[in-house]
Amino acid sequence: MLSPYLLLLLVPSPPLAVFLILGLDPFFLRRKAVQALALLGGIAPLLVMLPLLGICLGSECHGVVPIFTLVFGQAEVALALLLDPMSALVGVTVAGVGAMVMVYAIDYMSDARIADLRRFFALMNLFLAAMLTMVLAGDTITFFFGWELMGLCSFFLIAYNTSLPQAVAAGRKAFIITRFADAFLLAGLLLLFLEANSVRLDVLIPAGATMTEERHVVIALLILGGALGKSAQVPFHTWLPSAMAGPTPVSALLHSATMVAAGAFMLARFSPIVMSEPAVQMIAALFGVGTAAFGALSAVFQSDVKRLLAYSSISQIGFMVLAVGVGAPAVAIGHFVVHAMFKSLLFLAAGDITHGSDLGTSMAAMRGAVRRRPVAYTAYVAGAASLAGVPFITAGWWSKEAVLSAAWNSGAFGIAVWTLALLTAVCTAVYAFRPVFEALLPEPEHVSRARHGHPVMLDLHFRSRVGSGFIVIPLVVLATGSILGGVLVAPIIRFLGGEFPHAAPLPALLAGLAPFVGLVGAALLTFVPSLAAAVAGARDMRRPTRLDRKFQRWVIEPYVRLVRWLSRDRRSPLTEDERDERQVQLVRWLSRGARMDGIYQALFVRPFVNLVRWLNGHRGGTVDPVGNLPVTFVLQTVQAIVTPLAHDRFDRFWMRFANRLVRLWVLARAIQTGRSRDYALGAAFGTAALLVIAWGTTWN
Amino acid sequence: MSATTLSLLLILAGGLFVTGFFGLLARRAILFQLISLELMLAGPALAFLAGGAFHGSQQGQGMFVLIVILAAAEVALGLALYLALGRVADVEDSDTITRLRH
Repeated sequence: MLSPYLLLLLVPSPPLAVFLILGLDPFFLRRKAVQALALLGGIAPLLVMLPLLGICLGSECHGVVPIFTLVFGQAEVALALLLDPMSALVGVTVAGVGAMVMVYAIDYMSDARIADLRRFFALMNLFLAAMLTMVLAGDTITFFFGWELMGLCSFFLIAYNTSLPQAVAAGRKAFIITRFADAFLLAGLLLLFLEANSVRLDVLIPAGATMTEERHVVIALLILGGALGKSAQVPFHTWLPSAMAGPTPVSALLHSATMVAAGAFMLARFSPIVMSEPAVQMIAALFGVGTAAFGALSAVFQSDVKRLLAYSSISQIGFMVLAVGVGAPAVAIGHFVVHAMFKSLLFLAAGDITHGSDLGTSMAAMRGAVRRRPVAYTAYVAGAASLAGVPFITAGWWSKEAVLSAAWNSGAFGIAVWTLALLTAVCTAVYAFRPVFEALLPEPEHVSRARHGHPVMLDLHFRSRVGSGFIVIPLVVLATGSILGGVLVAPIIRFLGGEFPHAAPLPALLAGLAPFVGLVGAALLTFVPSLAAAVAGARDMRRPTRLDRKFQRWVIEPYVRLVRWLSRDRRSPLTEDERDERQVQLVRWLSRGARMDGIYQALFVRPFVNLVRWLNGHRGGTVDPVGNLPVTFVLQTVQAIVTPLAHDRFDRFWMRFANRLVRLWVLARAIQTGRSRDYALGAAFGTAALLVIAWGTTWN
Repeated sequence: MSATTLSLLLILAGGLFVTGFFGLLARRAILFQLISLELMLAGPALAFLAGGAFHGSQQGQGMFVLIVILAAAEVALGLALYLALGRVADVEDSDTITRLRH
């Protein structure tokens, strides 16, 4: 009998097929054909996913489509796709946002060369297919396969602009840091497999949740670590802001429906395991709310729209982790769905407004958007309102309110967390509306013309570009979702088997006021010139006088403190200058993502680079650390032995041996001629020798 | 099949292998080297067939099929390399390709 769940196989396959066709390009496709294929791969999953969600809404839904099963001894490795409420809902979200981004990308990338275009759409389709595979996975193998494939795609897509060194470096950074966290996840999944003897999620997760050993804590922590890495939560957040080097559609997909969101989805999926361990749950809540606050604060001080949105994603996913941490995974998924809509909308709208601007993606490029790109600007405002959580009329408020209430309802610890989350909500509104107000300011014409002496032609092109249907339709659809999606939040949470949390009236009122406080803050930061200048300039402020500052900090300040301490005037208030300096330091620290990058550089990267340099020899002649290693080792050993000895025959013998050694090495190098025939002969002699040895040892 | 037939076939297989190997070492043109490689593979393939027939087992045929597939894969790779090398080196002389060394 044919089950309707067989349709599941059809969800990730169209983008995968498109990836293969575009990647191999057997037909020498033209531009139009590439675009048509990309659209097909982007939209087909949505068309398949929607009826599947319909099945789920209509009746009990738990469908497994087995792919194949391997049996190892007692253990069973059963690969399958799974449809349950969570995968159906997230699948539809991912497919929907993916379709919108793909439609948008058709217009956005229309200037690219045909080869780049093919590479771009092939990878975008693979990205989408990987995420869908991961969402619909019924076992950890398929799950991890999609998870890793996504990491690979993000590397290629962030480094899409291969002629830009920083783009390539950013791709590499994203790849390495997420790989680091993936190791945690892999370890956790393998331990779970040992526990349950099966890779099926529906066996594995209950088994993991009811486990009583100490291993349980380890597994829960490892899974949390994997999610934190993929979602760029605090210790691993450094890759996401640099990942802005990729094209805007990539960022939109990366942040709202794939990769970064994958960590939150994974955490919600494995939430029974995390939730059965209160200590780990508390750690997750702390990491979540900490990241949310940190991301929001950092976003306030960004001067680049895309970086601002990147920190915003870090912060919003922190909210999702928090929701899992306070025991409401259904609420986390509710926020996931809404976030996917408004975040992709914000990226797409900001990308459309700043596309082709001389100012890149800096905040100043947003100026004058009201008249220049009214549709995109309106869409951006809708997205920003949803992100800030303007009460009742935006979807963002409903989902964020649910997260906040869930935190409030979870006891004393929850109230502490709730307070921090509320402050974060204020910051969220500040940074969400800063670009909105910035766009109201007049266009910086003189800047865009005078910069690098660009001809006016480029400027005209920038201004007269009219949004085609490919740009307008996704914006309108996503904006509608970001505003009206609020009605869906409570049904979504019920659909996933949760309960929409209701907090007491007072916290609800406070949460409702938070966006308005933030709105005022954003207006102040934009329209009060001294404040605006302080934020914009904080990054580079005092750079020329850094030496003076150091002197001040290390010499004068301690002296002042010592004098104060000696005179027993320990509580004298800080001078104006000192307070000023502290603020600048704080802003700079925040706008650079807590300087975590520098710490990683100093801790991991530089020692390694130094090691390689040292192995290379100081003269830097040979680029062959491994080949040099034995020679360096022997020479140094010889040196160590010879030096304490007197000048006698023995000494000279050793010295000669050491000198010969290098020549011997050169001789050995000469064996490598590079000619295939010589190597064939060598291989033949080697085989013959082995045969003779084998014959000799078996002789009787 | 008698033992004599088997030894004859094995000698023939050895001859094929040695012929191929001699061709690989003596010829300089890459195309001929590739053909020689195919000859080298034909030798063991024949030996497997003969052995399988002698012992009355199908495993010899199985190995034969494997070797044929391997040979096809190898020749596809070899021809691709041959075409690519045409641009950087003199394909009539494999000794001109010593980039491996650097």
